[in-house]
Amino acid sequence: MSEQTAGRLTVRPSDGVQMMDRLRALASGRNLAVIALVLLLGFLTVYPMSMLLYGSLHSTPPGSAGTFNLDGYRQILTAHNVVVLLNTIGISIAKTIPSLLTAILLAWIVARTDTPHRGVLEVLITLPFFVPPILTAMAWGMLGNPQVGLINQTWKAITGSETSPINVYSYGGVIWHMSQYTTTFLFLFLVDAFRAMDPALEEASRMCGASRWVTFRKVTLFLLLPVLTSGVMLSFIRGIESFESPLFFGTPAGIKVISTEIYDSVTQRAVPNYQSATALSFVIMGLMLMLVVWQWAVLRGKSFQTVTGKGFNPGVVKLGAWRWVAYAFCLLFFFVTTLLPVGQLAVGSFFQFFGFYGWEMLTLEHYREVLADTEFWRATKNTMMLGFVGATATMVLGSIVAYVSVRTKWRGRRLIDAIAWLPWMMPGIVLAIGFLWGFAMLPAQIPIYGTVWALFLAYLSLGTPVSVRVMSGAYAQLSFDLEECSRVHGATFFQTFTRILVALAWPAFAVGWVLAFFGIMRELSASIMLYTTGSEVLSVVLVKRWANGLAEQVSVIGLMMMVLVIVFRWVQLVVIKRRISTL
Amino acid sequence: MLGKLCKAALVTVGIVALSFGAAVAADQELPADVVAAAKKEGKVAFYTSFFGAKAHLDIIKSFEAKYGIQVELLDVRASEMTERIRTEQTSKRYIGDVTQNGAASLVRQHRQGFVQPHGGIPNANNLLKEHQASEFGVPTYILGYGILINKNQVKGDDEPKSWQDLKNPKWKGKIISDDPRALGGGNVMFSAFQDKLGDEYNTALSQQGLILSRDVGNDERRVARGEYPMRIPQLFSNWLALKSLPVKFIVPAEGLPYIRFDFGILNGAPHPNAARLFINHYLSEQVQVAYAAAGLLPVIDGILDKAGEAGAELKGIKLMGTTDADRQDSMLDRAKQLYP
Repeated sequence: MSEQTAGRLTVRPSDGVQMMDRLRALASGRNLAVIALVLLLGFLTVYPMSMLLYGSLHSTPPGSAGTFNLDGYRQILTAHNVVVLLNTIGISIAKTIPSLLTAILLAWIVARTDTPHRGVLEVLITLPFFVPPILTAMAWGMLGNPQVGLINQTWKAITGSETSPINVYSYGGVIWHMSQYTTTFLFLFLVDAFRAMDPALEEASRMCGASRWVTFRKVTLFLLLPVLTSGVMLSFIRGIESFESPLFFGTPAGIKVISTEIYDSVTQRAVPNYQSATALSFVIMGLMLMLVVWQWAVLRGKSFQTVTGKGFNPGVVKLGAWRWVAYAFCLLFFFVTTLLPVGQLAVGSFFQFFGFYGWEMLTLEHYREVLADTEFWRATKNTMMLGFVGATATMVLGSIVAYVSVRTKWRGRRLIDAIAWLPWMMPGIVLAIGFLWGFAMLPAQIPIYGTVWALFLAYLSLGTPVSVRVMSGAYAQLSFDLEECSRVHGATFFQTFTRILVALAWPAFAVGWVLAFFGIMRELSASIMLYTTGSEVLSVVLVKRWANGLAEQVSVIGLMMMVLVIVFRWVQLVVIKRRISTL
Repeated sequence: MLGKLCKAALVTVGIVALSFGAAVAADQELPADVVAAAKKEGKVAFYTSFFGAKAHLDIIKSFEAKYGIQVELLDVRASEMTERIRTEQTSKRYIGDVTQNGAASLVRQHRQGFVQPHGGIPNANNLLKEHQASEFGVPTYILGYGILINKNQVKGDDEPKSWQDLKNPKWKGKIISDDPRALGGGNVMFSAFQDKLGDEYNTALSQQGLILSRDVGNDERRVARGEYPMRIPQLFSNWLALKSLPVKFIVPAEGLPYIRFDFGILNGAPHPNAARLFINHYLSEQVQVAYAAAGLLPVIDGILDKAGEAGAELKGIKLMGTTDADRQDSMLDRAKQLYP
């Protein structure tokens, strides 16, 4: 303690030593790392959200004159909103459960069975995730509309029935469209976790007399718990915030969900009601945070380590003749979720108009138009650059955050983990406004607004929750003895981190990178609020064409993205295969 | 200085106009010093909420070729444009020069103090008398909305000739409509009906079981494919691209609901002279003809004769009504009551 004597500050020697010790402790590498992470994540997520919080508590958006009040929160407390919320939760649960079961089955088949051509199947199964939702919505509208949809027409022709069994403009249609993305998303989460699993534990269970089913349920699924819970939560939260499916298939059927209500408040009023939209978003975020707390509670105190210092080969279950059934199931999934809708788009892209097929309508004009468009090439270049740099930065940040959160006992790790979750819990359309406000309101000396940096930082923020979840799941499977062994043998922290942890979690890193890259490629809400002349990205170009009824050109761009996905996934799988064979 | 120049320019333009009488007005140029200042500024940032329109690119090229001034185009949807401009203006990050919005949106931006007086646009003297410029806003073109029918499903006498025909019970559950509860064509149509045909008409129409959707591009195709026999309101310019499909555009006897797009110069515009020059270029015969050929109604007289097939079809089309800044929210609320 210090004393002030006759106007002079006197410091006792013992106090100085203590203070220095404290300062030294505070300045230790560990604390500095935590502080740096908190500041970085704070700028990327808390800062734009603080702008939104201001918006929810102020009668006007930042920068405009107004008063602080709780009107936004009062406005959302209506019976109508409760019904809409329950509706949204119901849809999200309804799409998450079947998607999860299908994803587990598919991931198990691909990672742990002797089903033929598993490498090819893995690429094919993941394709739907990378197709822009507006494209599949259009395709399913053509396939499943009750009047002239191809599936209903075929059904009527075969059975002679007068009624249409399928109507995509319904709850079923909304759930079905969302499920295609959720299943593949969860599959991407699970497949590498299945691969990284030492079968010794399952073998031990079988040796102790447990049946195959009991072993799967009590050992395999239990060990997947961190990945499963993360995947389910991300999927459920995304279901709550999902926008395209309810807009395209729900609106004509009178189905209302939270995201379309927020969309209405922000975009469909003469004067946008940001106060209500942001208030509703914060209420939703509060509910989502409860889910995160639940996950922490579920995982607390349990060990999920399956990758230890002992060598292992991921066990492969021999299915016998059943492997062809498994193969057929994977192909069926690919056929229904990819070939049917994308095939329709691919065929349609060679005709003047979708759905009007005649020799006189055949054309390459849509390809010519797209390839001759300078805006398309500029957007492609920008998207590639932002995708490569953004995905890499996102994964590096996610790896570090996940490491601190999962592999250390550092003070503040829970805070870092929680902050990294935040962007996932805010509907994209609202968070985009937060970025706009946040970057524009920075001091003039920090020129982020109106530059490509705004897009980069927004993508980094939006991708971090997934990168952290992917890497957390992977780290949770790695035994601590690997790290300890490395350090005992004289490796530095950095060497241990890169040569042990990152090397072993490489497959997950690669999956996360692809998810982040294509997340950037598909991201629209923030892109459209932050892009400037010269920094257009593909998603903006895509939606511009869509808005002008150029669906065929949208398909051409979508198909090019699909080709890119196939190349990326193929390279990724080749790399993973090499790495795994050396594990 | 700018004001004096504008006055001088307006006087000059007036004299020229009087000298040539009622003939199709010739293009007018801004004073040479304004043009020189614009060229010195070197570029103009053009914000528009007419999202993704291909015609913009041709117009921009023609402006760049004529004056050697680079145009930076930023086109986003109306709501995003509104918030971008509000945010840039309140944070004093002045990036945009010219804004092009629906007339009602521009009025609101003027009320918020986000646009400045344009200082006189010579070609504005050629505007049609029902679409005159104000001190802040300059009309540029008009989007007209009619009825789209599937020719295979709606034939002969069944074709609607009036908006009143849509109340016929035979169309119950068969009309797909842009959502009148949201900003856009659907609500513009709703407002025009409210003004010209009365609340009874909107009430009767709401009992026809309209299928409400916001997927404009796809909905047009759904009518062409035969999912629905009819769609309202149909943008004339979009129909031009669908002509080879089995669809037809109907202009009802009462006329077309419409949205007019207006120009304004943003406060703090970094390139104010280039902005004026750009707006003036938009009202030139060349640009107005290009937009008319793309199916947009021009705001200058005599243009349709020069706009080819689209111009011929647009000729004589009556406009029915539109929305305005003061009533947009009340119209949205009424639509929500009728379509809960």
